[in-house]
Amino acid sequence: MQAPSLLILLVVLAFPLVYSLSLSFQSYSPVDPEAQGQWIGLDNYVRMLQDTQFGQAILVTLAYVVLAVALETVLGTAIGVWLSRLMRTRRLVTSFLLLPMIATPLVVGLMFSFGLNAQFGYMTETLQWLGLVGEAGVLDSPAGAFAALVAMDVWEWTPFIALMVLAGLSAAPQAQIQAAQMDGCNTFQLYWHVMLPMIKPVIGVAILFRATEAIRQFDQVYILTGGGPGSATTVNDIFQYRVSFTAFDMSYGAALGIATFLVVSVLAWVLFRYLNRKGEQR
Amino acid sequence: MFRFTRTSPSAMTSPRRRRAAGIAAGATVAALALAGCGTSGGGDVDPADANGWSQEFAGVELNVLAEATLNSEILAELSPEFTKMTGISVNIETAPFAQLVQSVTLDFSTAQGDFDVVSIPYDYLGAYAGSDYLEEITPLIAANADKVGEGFDQEDIIPGLWDTAALWDGAYYGMPSNSAVTMMIYRADVFEDEAEQEAFAAEYGYDLAPATTWEQYRDIAEFFTRDAGEELAGETLTEPLYGVTIAGKRHEAAVFEWINYANSFGGGVVSPEGELIVDSPGSVESLEYMDALGEFAPPGYTSATWDEVTAQLQQGIAVQAISWGDTAGAMENPDQSAVVGKMGYGDVPVAAEGDEHHALHGAWTYTISKQATDADAAYLFVAWALSAPVQKAIGEMGGVPATRSAFEDPELVAALPSWPQQLSSLENALARPRNAEWPQMLEQLALQVSTALVGEATPEAALTKAQDDITGILGDKLPLRAF
Repeated sequence: MQAPSLLILLVVLAFPLVYSLSLSFQSYSPVDPEAQGQWIGLDNYVRMLQDTQFGQAILVTLAYVVLAVALETVLGTAIGVWLSRLMRTRRLVTSFLLLPMIATPLVVGLMFSFGLNAQFGYMTETLQWLGLVGEAGVLDSPAGAFAALVAMDVWEWTPFIALMVLAGLSAAPQAQIQAAQMDGCNTFQLYWHVMLPMIKPVIGVAILFRATEAIRQFDQVYILTGGGPGSATTVNDIFQYRVSFTAFDMSYGAALGIATFLVVSVLAWVLFRYLNRKGEQR
Repeated sequence: MFRFTRTSPSAMTSPRRRRAAGIAAGATVAALALAGCGTSGGGDVDPADANGWSQEFAGVELNVLAEATLNSEILAELSPEFTKMTGISVNIETAPFAQLVQSVTLDFSTAQGDFDVVSIPYDYLGAYAGSDYLEEITPLIAANADKVGEGFDQEDIIPGLWDTAALWDGAYYGMPSNSAVTMMIYRADVFEDEAEQEAFAAEYGYDLAPATTWEQYRDIAEFFTRDAGEELAGETLTEPLYGVTIAGKRHEAAVFEWINYANSFGGGVVSPEGELIVDSPGSVESLEYMDALGEFAPPGYTSATWDEVTAQLQQGIAVQAISWGDTAGAMENPDQSAVVGKMGYGDVPVAAEGDEHHALHGAWTYTISKQATDADAAYLFVAWALSAPVQKAIGEMGGVPATRSAFEDPELVAALPSWPQQLSSLENALARPRNAEWPQMLEQLALQVSTALVGEATPEAALTKAQDDITGILGDKLPLRAF
């Protein structure tokens, strides 16, 4: 019964992975007559370790993922708690919260690109009115452009965490909550000491989802900043895209892809282990 | 979000190289966006319609991939006429730059043969011709001399443009499909205002006129940079005015703009001997100059490409720019522009009076794939696209032709103010490198030019880094033999 699904998995996952692995040990570019698939061993991986631009891209990606997901978690949890206390308007507010997530990344990138235009962007005007940015706008400086990327991700994905928290709170066992209330817990104590610890695994899964999504951020960065100014917003996927599909250095691109795959796999494994242990402790 | 506009039946049956399967899988994920499609059906022909064109290839179907520009749209509109004369049917697909390059590279490298004629940016000439993906055009011209109509005259193609677009390592691999070239675009109306002329002469000690040197260009940029509420040509400005607009984003637009400065400062990317000169004194001086001009450019120019440059000129918030000649139509379009009839067009300035002016070619090239169904039929299509009636029609409909007769056509010259300058720029323009590694070199240059413009590094440090990184990319291929 599982054979068809395993076959599909083999074709869409295993084949590209094995092919990329093989390519990463070769020198191949479709536009370089001298790079026609010669076996070069670990050269691409050695090059990767010495590549300062790749190192910079990894640092930018890590900073982006940590900042964006941390902000989303804090804000999303707060909004989720607030939603759980809404009675009449919860459905309406929840529907509105879905809107940023429904928009495709490309459209979100274009929205922010227009909004943050230094001359006529409404977001720029608002930020200038608040005295937060100068006349050159947000995207003119490396810090500003990076902050814009984080803000864009937070705007789009905070609702996801909020909805996960809301779902977790709705399913929390009522007996313990009622017991805490009878013991005299105030609202803050109830959430902080009883309800949020109960939904920790849910928040953990939400963070895992968001982190793996954010690590492969591409579309919005491509549209909004193109990876600049300088290398301030060149995240890992933008770097790899440039190597593989602008410079057509396919084998080095494959090595970068394999390394990223390994890093993400290890991260996911660590997170799953953590979640499983938490589950067993309960 | 992404879609292919056509699937060739031959793609399902043609042999694929082993590597192709893997690359194809990756490239599919990389999302190729092809948009727009024009088709003209062939088959039966009437000898009376031939107009000098051979009908020997009637029934052949050609697939053409071209850049998503007005030129390609016009060609798609005119192609039924070609089909009527020759019986060759043509499917024209268009795609933006990045997607076109990815799609073409995939098609060429996998020998898939989806496209017979491809319009490529000339930056990739070395990559494709060097990899033996393209047919040489000279033998096809000779073999089909008696099969083309009288409207086609290869001598009419602007020589420098043809060399840039198609000459690689001693052989020609196509014909120019687009003659984009840089020039200086400026607000002629404010230059002609007497009060402005007097004020400028009083401040700078010489007459206000379109810049011929970079020093004048900078003075003019400074002079016209004004706050809202100040006067311009007798009128009070409601918005700030900027003396210049620059493409400064981490993007090829910034690199191409810098090359315009670098060419005249004695710098650039590769010397005539094939040595890298990215960190030469002339290159550094030119990037310092570009960086200093930023003081007079609209805020946020470091996130602008040529789209923003065009928009700022159209809105009348910038006085001058070094930009592409094919944007002149947008300046003179009353539906889009606030400066219709107010713009002037001049040569790219030089470092010192008496130096030779040099623009930068932005040409594209019609190339014929080695996998073409019928290379002779494909050549006929290219020749027809370069024929005098088609080239004139391209000019009339707002595109940019590649033949001298179209640029010298009295009707077009009378109707298009930028036309004489376009021809002048085309005749003095230089090419950027076209070697197989150029896309990688361009990436490094885009990074370092951007780094310098946002002040993360000095121009000297940024270009030294670029020189080092590009030297690493080229390795033992230096000095470059062909570029």
